[in-house]
Amino acid sequence: MLILTRKLGESITIGDDIKITFLETKGKQVRIGIEAPPHITVHREEIYQLIREQNIQAANVESIEKETLPNIWDGLKHMLLKDQQKR
Amino acid sequence: MNIITTRFGEIDVDESKIIDMRAGIIGFEHLKKFMLHIQDEKNPFWWFQSLDEGAIAFVVINPFVIKADYEPMIDDNDTKLLEIKNADDVVLLVIVTIRQNPFSVSVNLRAPIVVNARKKIAKQVILEDPAYPVRYYLTAAGSGEQVSIAGDYKKRDDCEAASL
Repeated sequence: MLILTRKLGESITIGDDIKITFLETKGKQVRIGIEAPPHITVHREEIYQLIREQNIQAANVESIEKETLPNIWDGLKHMLLKDQQKR
Repeated sequence: MNIITTRFGEIDVDESKIIDMRAGIIGFEHLKKFMLHIQDEKNPFWWFQSLDEGAIAFVVINPFVIKADYEPMIDDNDTKLLEIKNADDVVLLVIVTIRQNPFSVSVNLRAPIVVNARKKIAKQVILEDPAYPVRYYLTAAGSGEQVSIAGDYKKRDDCEAASL
C-alpha cells in the first residue's frame, strides 16, 4: 500500500483521470472528494465487498437445474398469494 | 455467434441481443457480454447468461414483479455512462440468489442491473439508499424479514406481494 500524508484541501491523483481531495475532518471522520470518469465506479469498500460476495453466491446456481426454476416460482407464487389473502 | 453454455448447451446468439456491460458485474468485471434468456414466458425468473464464459449465468427478475414500488435513484454519472435519453430506455433487473439447505430465495435490491434496452448497454449500479437490502427475501414472505446492509433484521408488516 502506498502511504502519503496530505493536508486538508490537498489532493492526490491516480492515473490520468482520477483525483482525490481531502476536504475536512470531523472527529474520527474524513470527508473525501473524488473526481473520476463515469466508467470508474467508486464505493465505500464494505458495501463493494458485500455486493461482490452476494454476486458470487448468486452465480453459484449449479445446483439449480433450469427445470427447477419454474417450480421455484410456482412455489413462491403460492406462498405470496396466500400471504396476500391473509391480510 | 455460437456459444456453449452449461445449462442450455450450444446456443446461437443473435448479435442484436448482446448486452454490453459497461462496468461489469461486481466481482465478475472480466465478463463484458451477456444475453437475457427468457426460458418460459410464464416464469418471471430469467437467465442473464455470460457470453464470455458459458458456465456463468445469473438468475434475474424484473424487480417490479416482486416490489411494485421499487424506485431506485440512478445518478447522472450512470445516466451518462449508459447513454440514457429517457425513462423508457431503462429496463431493471435484480439478481436472484437461491440457496439450498435451507432453501431460500432472495433478490438484491441494493445493486440492480440497469439496462439501456435501446442501446443494449448495462451496468450493475450500487444504490445509495440503505432501505433497499442486498438480500430481500422472497421465501420469508410471511414474516417479511429482510437483511439490511448493516446485517440487522427488520420486520416489516407491509411486505410486498407480487401481483400476478
